[in-house]
Amino acid sequence: MTESIKKDVVISGVGGQGNILASLVLGRFAMSKGLNILGTESIGAAQREGPVVSHVRISSGQIYSPLIPDRQADVLVGMEELETIRHIRRLNPNGTYLINLHRVPTALCNMGLDKYPDEDAILNAFARYCPNGYSIRASEIAKSIGDLIYTNMVILGALTKIYPFFEKEAIREIAGQEVPKRAYDKCMQAFAAGYEEVKAL
Amino acid sequence: MSTKRFLLGNEAMARGSIEAGVKVVAGYPGTPATEILTAHLERPDVHVEWSINEKVAMEVAIGAALANTRALAVMKHNGTNYMTDTLMHVAFTGVRGGLVLVSADDPNGNSSQNEEDTRIIAHTYAHLPVFDPSSAQEAKDMMKEAFALSEKTELCVVLRPVMRICHSRSLIEVSDEIEPQAKADFVDDRKRFVMSAVVEPSEGGAMRPVVRHRWLNEKQKLLGEIVEQSPFNSVEEGEGKVGIVGCGVSYAYVKEAERILGRKYPVLKLCTLPLPRQKVLAFAKGKDTIIVYEELEPVVAKLIKEILFDAGVQVKVLGRDGFVPAESELSTEIVLRTLAAADPTLEYQAPEPIKLDFPVPARTRTQCIGCGYRGLLHGVKLAARRTKGVVTGDIGCHDAGSFPPLELQSTIYCMGASVPIASGIEDAGFDKPVFSIIGDSTFFHNGMLGFINGLTNKNKVITILCDNRTTAMTGFQPHPGSGQTVRGEDTVRIDTVALAEAMGVEAQVVDPYDIKGVQKALDKAIKSEKGMQLIISRKPCYLLSRRTHEQLFEPRDVSVDQERCNGCKICIDYFGCPAISIVDGKAQINQMSCVKCGMCVEVCKRGAIK
Repeated sequence: MTESIKKDVVISGVGGQGNILASLVLGRFAMSKGLNILGTESIGAAQREGPVVSHVRISSGQIYSPLIPDRQADVLVGMEELETIRHIRRLNPNGTYLINLHRVPTALCNMGLDKYPDEDAILNAFARYCPNGYSIRASEIAKSIGDLIYTNMVILGALTKIYPFFEKEAIREIAGQEVPKRAYDKCMQAFAAGYEEVKAL
Repeated sequence: MSTKRFLLGNEAMARGSIEAGVKVVAGYPGTPATEILTAHLERPDVHVEWSINEKVAMEVAIGAALANTRALAVMKHNGTNYMTDTLMHVAFTGVRGGLVLVSADDPNGNSSQNEEDTRIIAHTYAHLPVFDPSSAQEAKDMMKEAFALSEKTELCVVLRPVMRICHSRSLIEVSDEIEPQAKADFVDDRKRFVMSAVVEPSEGGAMRPVVRHRWLNEKQKLLGEIVEQSPFNSVEEGEGKVGIVGCGVSYAYVKEAERILGRKYPVLKLCTLPLPRQKVLAFAKGKDTIIVYEELEPVVAKLIKEILFDAGVQVKVLGRDGFVPAESELSTEIVLRTLAAADPTLEYQAPEPIKLDFPVPARTRTQCIGCGYRGLLHGVKLAARRTKGVVTGDIGCHDAGSFPPLELQSTIYCMGASVPIASGIEDAGFDKPVFSIIGDSTFFHNGMLGFINGLTNKNKVITILCDNRTTAMTGFQPHPGSGQTVRGEDTVRIDTVALAEAMGVEAQVVDPYDIKGVQKALDKAIKSEKGMQLIISRKPCYLLSRRTHEQLFEPRDVSVDQERCNGCKICIDYFGCPAISIVDGKAQINQMSCVKCGMCVEVCKRGAIK
């Protein structure tokens, strides 16, 4: 009998980072492995920099709920600092998290009515909760390649380094099929940079 | 041959309708339902259209079904509200070809101005059969079955997916076999399809509406027999005297809870309305409590109580009357918590909340960086502040102006409500200017009726029509002002300026990026002695322009002169571009997110932004 597989992944970020495409790539990867896949996306009203969270559930057995229950996520991928800490309750403390060191202030933070938490405070809260943390400056890398929209590719590259269940070559190939042809080279450059530059916290 | 495809729930439903041989699909965009319609575009032989509004969409679908073809109407719950008049009529006439209505609900209002349960409109009110899918695969199967059921019963069948089904992604069994359909034809049957207050001599002189009402009521017996055999309702054996009823997506949360608890409860999955009466009675045997999980109102719970009461069975029925939260979206966590409260034999400790030593700020909605509406709204904000006027709002991207920092629009209701509400404020005797802001898709939907109403009733409302040539908020669907069909073919474009002219109104056209121009137009409208004023802001959506490579503004690098900036915060509080923040008391531009639209240069009164 083969070992049963269950991988629950939460990807959270803000609009314009390619969050949905990243979850699509993970889903297609699972499909190529003959696994079951169920996910859901919360996008709210379409807008740049609004909150976006997708749940990706992969299993060798049947999956019922499209939402990952609290403490059940094996991986939390945060594409923006605040949106990562917002979903910490989903993460299993024995799981793995990857955080993009990138801060998109909220309207109320800009107005001075709310305080965007310090980066150290966020990272400390994670460190106290879960030992397996990684960080990447994915947005900086994406911007240096040409556009923040490549953030997802940097993140996917990083994810394959820290979580080998998501096989590097397979994920890279599927990602390459999903992105527009004219952006292919830059996407692959972003993917490679993510793989190289991810750091353990 | 059947294969598995990785599909969005909405695509899965469309696949079901394609395999059922649908010929006409009409709808109006609305999250979470939108992609159900567009996923039909892969079939060139299906007529697919974005209709001007949901009532029109439903009527187009009815016409196709009367012509003996299979037709689908697609909308979200708000749209179903809007077309309920039509639904209440087709419920009495029935149809020939299969007619399916998809009305997607949005518990928690993730993308809606309200949360509601359209099963009440479709079933309790219109007495139509409803399917409530528990997974995307089931939603697809239900879609096919809905067409068959519609033809068998001659009734419109309603599929009510919730957002978690629409926006799920999973592996879906897809077949390349498409059910063959008969050619369209129209056979007169005026006794059915002419709805009127007329006496029916053949029915002993009863009024036709009564005869048709009786016809609909008699269909309920047939439906009762059919749902008893339906594969969408099923029983699972389990231990204990507490039985669980799982309806639609809630069934998935129940199964997830069982997995976490490692325990099997007796479960009755109920995904049809009407309910299978015998199945419910059989399930109730030996139970002392039944707990019902459903989205969103206690519709099934009340029907179960009715069935049990009529049969003289005493079982406690708990559900979404407050025992299970009466508002918002269900989850596995809620099932676990309430199950523990209902079942004394269950020991379950919810995980402790994670304590953070800092608050996590909410991310409220705002315009995208680069959106021209930010300049437009800034101009309206200054005019409204100066005149102490009131601004009413409508549905669309511009409605984000009602949240901090702008807090511009004082009301937002449903599609098209902005202008009539503004008229009413004026009618009441409010003596300062009244403004209304409405998008172009909403204006065509029904907003222009409110505008005409204001014209003929001699109101003076300053209406700002945000014409960006698309339905931006739901993902760029064409509307009558776009000049394109859903398939991207050129078609008649209704020009908003010409439309205004036909109403006898001379509209002022402004570029939303030109804040000075916006202010000038507003001043003129405020001073005008004439009635209804129309300012048309005309520029395509910024996000859309990035796809079409249309340049909306001359890009310019901007930065803040830290010497000149006095920290007055006008660029935040009256403009609110997310790329501007206050650092150490002075404005600062985040170059990572700035798109160089340069509107903020005009906003700063001290010339500190250059």
